[in-house]
Amino acid sequence: MALLEVENLSIGYSTKKGFLKAVEGISFSLDEGRSLGFVGESGCGKTTLGMALMGLLPPNGSVTGGKIILEGEDLLEKSEDEMRKIRWKKISMIFQAAMNALNPVKRVHDQIAEAILTHNPNLDKEQALRRVAKLFQLVGLPESRMRDYPHQYSGGMKQRAIIAMALSCNPRLIIADEPTTALDVIVQHQILEETKNLQKELELSIIFISHDISIVADVCDTIGIMYAGQLVEYGTREEVFDTPMHYYTRALISSYPTLTGQRRELLPIPGESPNLIEPPLGCRFCDRCDGSGDSCKIGPPEWVDITPTHRALCGLCLK
Amino acid sequence: MDNEKKTVLELKDISKIYKSRGSFFGPGGEKVVALNRISLSIYEGEIFGLVGESGSGKTTAGRLIVGLEHPKEGEIYLNGTEITGLKGRALKAYRRKVQMIFQDPYQSLNPQLSIHESVTEPLTIHKMGDGVERLERVMETLKTVGLSPPEEFLYRYPHQLSGGQRQRVAIARAMVLGPQFVVADEPTSMLDASYSAKIFNILLDMRDRFNVTILFITHSLAAARYLCDRIGVIYKGNLMELGPADAVIQNPKHPYSQALIDAIPKFGHCEDIRQYKTFLHTQRKVLEGVGCPFFIRCSRADQTKCRIEMPPLKALEDSHYAACFFAEPGDEKGPESDACLLGI
Repeated sequence: MALLEVENLSIGYSTKKGFLKAVEGISFSLDEGRSLGFVGESGCGKTTLGMALMGLLPPNGSVTGGKIILEGEDLLEKSEDEMRKIRWKKISMIFQAAMNALNPVKRVHDQIAEAILTHNPNLDKEQALRRVAKLFQLVGLPESRMRDYPHQYSGGMKQRAIIAMALSCNPRLIIADEPTTALDVIVQHQILEETKNLQKELELSIIFISHDISIVADVCDTIGIMYAGQLVEYGTREEVFDTPMHYYTRALISSYPTLTGQRRELLPIPGESPNLIEPPLGCRFCDRCDGSGDSCKIGPPEWVDITPTHRALCGLCLK
Repeated sequence: MDNEKKTVLELKDISKIYKSRGSFFGPGGEKVVALNRISLSIYEGEIFGLVGESGSGKTTAGRLIVGLEHPKEGEIYLNGTEITGLKGRALKAYRRKVQMIFQDPYQSLNPQLSIHESVTEPLTIHKMGDGVERLERVMETLKTVGLSPPEEFLYRYPHQLSGGQRQRVAIARAMVLGPQFVVADEPTSMLDASYSAKIFNILLDMRDRFNVTILFITHSLAAARYLCDRIGVIYKGNLMELGPADAVIQNPKHPYSQALIDAIPKFGHCEDIRQYKTFLHTQRKVLEGVGCPFFIRCSRADQTKCRIEMPPLKALEDSHYAACFFAEPGDEKGPESDACLLGI
């Protein structure tokens, strides 16, 4: 049994201009100890997906269909009380710009201890702090800095503190949404390496959300490409990277400058992403796609299996 | 080869120091050396990449060049004429020739001005042309940055445009005066990659068409490689390496540049790619401000020499310079496979 199975999940937001269909019909599964990355640009719905998995959509957001099955139980059928027990204990999240989420007037070790005690009322403060010390070791923070306040930490240290907090209650699954975006290149690299090691050591499952395809390809076994609220390609990182099938995936990869090899021309993707209040009936990428055909506008595209593990939402991709 | 090229902008021994303010937790007054005696020449028509992480001083360098701030020491020259510390009318005249594109497209445009008003404003300020000429120039410039047909965009307001479109307007604003030199400070770091590519191509196009010289400030080596003729790597206010873009990236000489290259995400199946491994995981405990600024993180440092002596920027080969006692000319083979290395 997979750790997490998401079936046909759709999510939307009520806005003044209408109902915005932010995520439509997403299905995937994640086994224990594996990492799955969602890549997409702004507005593709990846953050919304992450928040929905945690049951943390904002008040105007709602799940309009589908299931989120964690260890055999549908999270969408749980009450808020039940979700509160699951959050941090079974699933943890590292939000975007999470380092700003640290409470500036509390010492770092106290904050993490607080998270532990809230979910483990049988422990006392001493035991919680001992756990914090172990976590510090795990994430590479010096124990001597436990009693510091967040502002005394560098960006990289704050991020490690957030990771420690996410790990504090031994979750099975961590959702990391752009965890390294605000960090410098070298620190980012260190944290990604450490995350990979932690994942192996603790047999954690990770869902990694990013706009940066290179980071996701580095950290995750499996990649899902998202565009305009839909999953458009899904496969192992080698498959998606080496043989991208969906025109958007190909366009996305071609728009990144490379460090080596021939200096090829960077190809931007023309146009803008579609309006999700009234999304087009056919393929959502159609009017920006250089491979589109007549059939693409008429009806929604269908999944095409390229290998048993690799699929793309494009009827023309194999031609 | 160098003396055939005309130097447009020169920084000579530029230093900039900031004092931190006091706060609840401390009295402040700490000095932060943002730039430490930087010297740099930028040639006509080139795109020069200044690559560094946060706190490197790259943005400060840009701000000094456009006159938003003044250096503590050193001189800046445009076309051989000193422009350090210009104020008032002289600064205004300077701004006709030297413009800046900022990082945040959501902050750099006045929300109350239409695109037409925003892009016309520099022309009005510098009293260029009459009404008809100004409109024509604005429309031409909007076309240059790909906002075509320009009539569609003239009367819109910033909030009606996407981040990428706003950034194009910002470029139009910078270019409408026909400047000689443009500082582009991380112009794409807040945009999606697929849009960034468009901005890069616009900058290349501008240089090719108008021979404008561009200082491209970025944290991304890959972007610098795509766009730039030469790259300068800056770390804690010091220029660590300088040279042709391909040379710096394929044959980096300074341990810090090598660390930057190591840090670019690579795939699993490229584990056999050469890693320079020059970055120490834990900082050395040493007083900063003496010796090489990278000493505290450098795995190749000599405990005595590098700790107390500041390495000068020394010439290695073909206009390639590095500020490291151990940098040698010749090949330092770097990563090869294209498929493995993407960067933004």
